[in-house]
Amino acid sequence: MILDIYKDSLEYSAKDWKTLVILGVIALFSFLLLPLFLLSGYNYRVVKTAVNGIINGRDPLPDFDDFIGMFVDGVKVVIVQVVYIIVPIAIFFIFAVISSQLSGGFAVASMTIGVFIALIIGIIACLMVQMGICHMAYNDGEFSKAFALKEIKEVIDEIGWFKCIVTYIGLIIITLVISTVVASIIGFIFAAFGFSGLMLGINTSGVFLLGMLLNISVSMFFVGPYLSIFNARSIGLLYTIQL
Amino acid sequence: MAGMADVVEGLKYPFNDVKKLLGFGAIFAILNLISIAIGTKNLDIYRVIIREVKNTNTSILSLKFTQLPVNDIYLVLGLAIVSFIIVLFIMGYQYNIVKFSINQNDALPGFSDILDIFVKGIKFLAVGIAYNIVPTIILILGVALVGNSPILFAIVLIAFILYLMAFFFQIMALSNMIDNDSLKKAFDFNEITDKIANIGWMKYVGIVLFTIIILLIVSASAGLILSFITVLFARAFNQAIVVSAFIGIIQGLFITSYISVFFNRVYGSIYRQSIN
Repeated sequence: MILDIYKDSLEYSAKDWKTLVILGVIALFSFLLLPLFLLSGYNYRVVKTAVNGIINGRDPLPDFDDFIGMFVDGVKVVIVQVVYIIVPIAIFFIFAVISSQLSGGFAVASMTIGVFIALIIGIIACLMVQMGICHMAYNDGEFSKAFALKEIKEVIDEIGWFKCIVTYIGLIIITLVISTVVASIIGFIFAAFGFSGLMLGINTSGVFLLGMLLNISVSMFFVGPYLSIFNARSIGLLYTIQL
Repeated sequence: MAGMADVVEGLKYPFNDVKKLLGFGAIFAILNLISIAIGTKNLDIYRVIIREVKNTNTSILSLKFTQLPVNDIYLVLGLAIVSFIIVLFIMGYQYNIVKFSINQNDALPGFSDILDIFVKGIKFLAVGIAYNIVPTIILILGVALVGNSPILFAIVLIAFILYLMAFFFQIMALSNMIDNDSLKKAFDFNEITDKIANIGWMKYVGIVLFTIIILLIVSASAGLILSFITVLFARAFNQAIVVSAFIGIIQGLFITSYISVFFNRVYGSIYRQSIN
């Protein structure tokens, strides 16, 4: 089942290279702040298509229309993420404040416990926030559904916590592998160019610069958007298992 | 649910009639220019006064009338009155936006009936003053009477909470007044709380906060773009006054007007939900 999700998502994200380039251009302008929310809005649309689709179904990639709606969706997603992430951070700070009032072994002990609790709650929050966004997307973007903890917990129970965690870890591994492999392939090619140039006695700093530039642009315009769609699609499909 | 759709609709709404949006923006641009003029003139006045105080070795209060830069002061007063009138006009226009929003009219209001717009602006302002006067008095009295002590902090906190409550009530009060076309309805607290309860307090506060978050993001983003433009423009013109006037015009013309139309549109549609 999980492998099917990965396979479907890997194919789905590679459907249209134009979408990837458009996302890359938006990412390029994300220093203007607004496009940042467009990116998360687009990912939200991917999730929305996924939760209403089926694994190995022929879902199309979402269109780039209605930018304002996309922006508002993106803001919603970011708010949900921020609210969930605040919880472990707040717990961490509470323990930090408590341990700063204590002294000696107590301080160390309470800080250790605090970090431990914050870490566990952080992991749970990471799981919950993804499913919360899926749950919101499934319920027509109703904001309160992203925080309906009981329903989200039931959803995760239905899928199975272990399966969820395994899927997440798999996603992280696949993301890391793809980005590293692509970057190192380009790196190797240009290293080969550079060495051959060096043997011929040419100044190779240009080759180095070109390699860097190509690496950055490939990761920005192709690999980055590809992986973000891949992640969103996988988690959306994971949500559909329980339906 | 419908709240989110209203926010999206509100963001799109100003584009329905770009000409009128720019017309409204032109008013903001003029207001910005006037406030820049007031700022520079104020600086001149302070300079003159401080020089006089230094030369004559007296305090500011004992300066004679002839020693003051009278013409400049008159100019600033005149400009302040003009800007007050412009603010009234802007408020009247916002009144019309809320009205159009409640009536689900997709066009932007026009500028033809200027007198009517001013009258509405006065109503709008009156409600704003009435709602904010209590916390303002508390704040001023607190600062004046208590001085620097822990109680001051409590007073500031109370004033802040009152401001916040006034803000949330005021939105509904304004819409309630505008829908019924009577100033009394802005202070009909039973009706206002009923209408907020119709939407649900949590949801109401949530929609308003969400609108404000969207607004903050849009204005922060616009501010970033403006700052880039400022840098480019400052390279071309070395005079600060030209650059600030230019930025003031752009900001008023496109950004402030858009944000103001968006905000009032959403508030109108929140009210519309409460009466359905």
